[in-house]
Amino acid sequence: MWEYFIYFAVASVLLWTGGAIEAWRCKRIFAMWMTTAGLMVFFGFILGLWITMEHPPLRTMGETRLWYSFFLPVAGMIVYSRWHYKWIFSFSTLLALVFICINVFKPEIHSKTLMPALQSPWFAPHVIVYMFAYAMLGAATIMAIVLLVQQHKLYRKRIADDGQQSLVKAVEVTDNLVYVGWGFLTIGMLFGALWAKEVWGHYWSWDPKETWAAITWLAYLVYVHYRIAWSKQVKTAMVILLISFCMLQICWWGINYLPSAKDSSVHTYSSK
Amino acid sequence: MKRGFIVGLAVIIAGLLLELASGPVVWTAMRWPANIVALGVFVALITGLGLLALPSVGDKNGMGAVNKAVRWLGSYQAAVPTMVYAVGLTTIMGLTRQVNDGRWINDMLTFWPFVLIYILMMLIVGLAIMKHTIMISNRLKRGYEANGHQDRSWLLRREIPFMLNHLGLFIALCCGTAGNPDIQRMKMICETDRAEWRATDEHYEEKGLPIVITLNRFIMEEYDDGSPKRVASEIQIVTKSGKKVETTVDVNKPYEIDGFKIYQYGYDQKAGKDSEYSILEIVRDPWLWAVYTGIVMMLAGAVSMIILGKTTKE
Repeated sequence: MWEYFIYFAVASVLLWTGGAIEAWRCKRIFAMWMTTAGLMVFFGFILGLWITMEHPPLRTMGETRLWYSFFLPVAGMIVYSRWHYKWIFSFSTLLALVFICINVFKPEIHSKTLMPALQSPWFAPHVIVYMFAYAMLGAATIMAIVLLVQQHKLYRKRIADDGQQSLVKAVEVTDNLVYVGWGFLTIGMLFGALWAKEVWGHYWSWDPKETWAAITWLAYLVYVHYRIAWSKQVKTAMVILLISFCMLQICWWGINYLPSAKDSSVHTYSSK
Repeated sequence: MKRGFIVGLAVIIAGLLLELASGPVVWTAMRWPANIVALGVFVALITGLGLLALPSVGDKNGMGAVNKAVRWLGSYQAAVPTMVYAVGLTTIMGLTRQVNDGRWINDMLTFWPFVLIYILMMLIVGLAIMKHTIMISNRLKRGYEANGHQDRSWLLRREIPFMLNHLGLFIALCCGTAGNPDIQRMKMICETDRAEWRATDEHYEEKGLPIVITLNRFIMEEYDDGSPKRVASEIQIVTKSGKKVETTVDVNKPYEIDGFKIYQYGYDQKAGKDSEYSILEIVRDPWLWAVYTGIVMMLAGAVSMIILGKTTKE
């Protein structure tokens, strides 16, 4: 099935790019439809893979990247339908493309038989919810970078009210992305806990992956609370967001390279 | 904010001194009933402090030192720095190799500064809950006096999600921690057709159980490449309470009976398919229902955050 990936991927990316262009031209309905069409093509591949492998494609890093590429445009659509950012589809398409490229050019992946520990109804929701959370929090990170740059420019040029107002709105979007992303992060983590009880006998064992999940969860929680109490300190808040995203990366894949986690984590993704 | 960082640092230093003076936290000393007593005292303390200090909202000048301290503890100014410390210490845990019977940062769960920061965090969460409880009840009362009924959307949009998130976390974390020493995890090696009631716990001590398990058949299926596809045990269970059950325990499908959960754990890896025995894990966690109550609340809280997004104060 993987040999057909390139065709599906090219078709999806073309459709998503079309959606992005339509968004720049303010053709909202076209933008939404083209992105949806791209998503359907992409999901067609995921489904095909699912059927041929006889289990959901969630085991290897390559397979989780597949979901990530899928959920980025989904997150983009949610943001776009609520706030109509012209650039959001360009961003989600670009990032999805990056993950697709990794899968095409560095496919250290592919069919791996599913060990008994992973044969659980919790498996799919646990990983899919996490991937969606990562996508939303990825979008929030881009917002944070845009905001930091914009604020720097505003500061230098001393642009008056209208610049300020768009800034306030952008911060609001960032907050909402984090709320939704953190909500999914929580659900993913707790589904993981409930699953762990069924498979390993305990809901939380401070396995390195679990430890990093807790760190990430708490780091975003710092952002949430900081934003409520110090709503004027946008810059600090965005820096907290960037640090949190770094924690998230360590939790997701960085852990495979951490000496403290090597061999001791049952969670490290197999690359076979 | 600055004060929060100073208080957190003081707590960490106190933890270090405790660690030097008395060694690591001895969790086994917290077995039933010590844990329920400690938890009761903790909750009573939070409730008491909250009721005593928090209602006097308004006259800041007339407040005593305790009132001020409690109000501060229930605030964002205390919460954010404490969370930053918690992130920091947990990050150290994530970067260092954790070993049982390790010392200091190599066994973070028994390291006093780590434990104390998390306790401080729970104290803050508890006081925040108290603050909101008092606020909600005041507001409801005021509303009734004003016009008999009123708009309650603030309750649905702000306060219920707040409670689900905070109270859920408080319950899950406190009960999970307090209940941990009560958890029994034992391994039972079952040979085919031989009744077994003995199991060894984590400290390699043998325990007699009120259930007798007989392995009828060990099942193992393999993929073409020889990796395991299914590992399971067909067993018969007879309990002291008089139950008699025939069942199959798979990886991911434990069987629960009389408060014990029975898991497929292992087998003779050299013999593989032809293993003459199966290793079962038997787990008892009397606090599980409490932790799950907290988890369900947190799940509901997360869903409400996804649906509502950030709701600003009206």
